[in-house]
Amino acid sequence: MAQPVVQTIHRDPALFWWILLPITVVMILTGILRHYAMTLLQTTPKKQPLATIRQQRSLVRGITFRQHANVLSPSSFQARKAYFVEAYKEGKFLADPENRGKPRPNPMTDPAAMEGMMGMMKGNMAMMIPQTLIMGWINAFFSGFVIMKLPFPLTPQFKSMLQSGVGTRELDVRWVSSLSWYFLTLFGLQPVYNFILGSNNSASQATQQMAQANPGAGMMGPEQDPDKLFLSEAENLEVMEHRWILDGVEDRLLAQFAF
Amino acid sequence: MEDERELAIHPVVQTSVQHNTQAVSNIRNLTASLFGVAAGTLGLESYPGFIFYLVGTLIVSLLLFVFRAEGKPSAYFHRPLGDLWGGEVFGGLSGFVLTWTLFYGLVRA
Repeated sequence: MAQPVVQTIHRDPALFWWILLPITVVMILTGILRHYAMTLLQTTPKKQPLATIRQQRSLVRGITFRQHANVLSPSSFQARKAYFVEAYKEGKFLADPENRGKPRPNPMTDPAAMEGMMGMMKGNMAMMIPQTLIMGWINAFFSGFVIMKLPFPLTPQFKSMLQSGVGTRELDVRWVSSLSWYFLTLFGLQPVYNFILGSNNSASQATQQMAQANPGAGMMGPEQDPDKLFLSEAENLEVMEHRWILDGVEDRLLAQFAF
Repeated sequence: MEDERELAIHPVVQTSVQHNTQAVSNIRNLTASLFGVAAGTLGLESYPGFIFYLVGTLIVSLLLFVFRAEGKPSAYFHRPLGDLWGGEVFGGLSGFVLTWTLFYGLVRA
C-alpha cells in the first residue's frame, strides 16, 4: 500500500527554548497574576444599615426553616410557622415599613446595583486585557515560525488560523505556528492553576463565568420588592407539608437490628 | 415520596458532595496530564492517542472505585454511575491534549 509522503521539517532546537518555553511561562504567570489582581480588585461589601440586614436575614431564616422543618417536632413546628407567617404578613421585618406597596426605584439609579455591575465589568476587563496583550505579543514576536506538529490531524479549515504568518500553501495542517500553542495553553492550563493556586482560583475563564452566573445566590436582589418576597414566603410556609423525621423511629431502629 | 423520606433521614450534605467532586476532578486532571506525557513519549497519533486517553481514564475510574471508594461508591457519591464512572471524563481532555502535543513535539517531531 502506498503511504502518502510524510512531510518532515527540520527545526532549530532553539525554537523550543525561545518560543515554546517563553509562551508557556508567560501564560502560567499571567494566570497567577490575574488571580491576585482579581483578589485585590474585589471590593469589600459595603456596611449595610441594621434594618436592611434584619430584613435579609429574617427572609433567609424563613427559607432555612422551610427547608429543614422536618427535624422539628410538630408542636415546635406549628409555633414557629405561626410566628413566621404572622410576622411576614404584617411586614414586621421590613427595613422601611412606610414604603410598603410603593413601586421600587429604578435599579440604574441605585448605587448598590451600579457597584455590582462595576464588579462584573472589572472581571471582564481582567480577562480581556491580558488576552489581547498576549495575542499581540505573540503576533509581534513569534509569527511566521512553524514550531510544532500536532499529534492529531485537523481539517484544512484550521489552516488559516493555526498557520497564520506561514506562507506555504502545501504544508500539512498538522504543522502549526506559535499562536496555536497559545490557544492550547489557554484551554489546557486550568489543572495547572488548580494545583498552584487551589481550586477556588480566578485564573481562568471557566471559573470566571461560573462566578458571574450567580452573583450572590440566595441574596435578595436589589430590584425585588422585599414585601412581595415576604408575602410569598408566608404563603409557602402556609401550604407546606410537615413530616417529622422521628416519626416511627422506633420501628426503623428495631428493623435495623433485626435479622 | 419514599425517596424524599429516605433523603430526609440520610441527608446529602452539599459540602461533602463538593469535596468529593473536587477530589475526583483533581485526580482526573493530574492523571490526564500524565497520560498526555505518556502518549506523547510513545508517539501516538490521532485515534490511538484518544483511545489511550479513554482507556487510561477507565483505569483511573477503576482505581478510584477500588482504593478511594473502597468498593462502596454509593457511600461517597449521590449518583455513583454519573459521578464516579462518568464524572469529569472529558474535564481532563484539554490538559491531556496540551501535554500530549508538547511531548509529541519534543520527542518525535
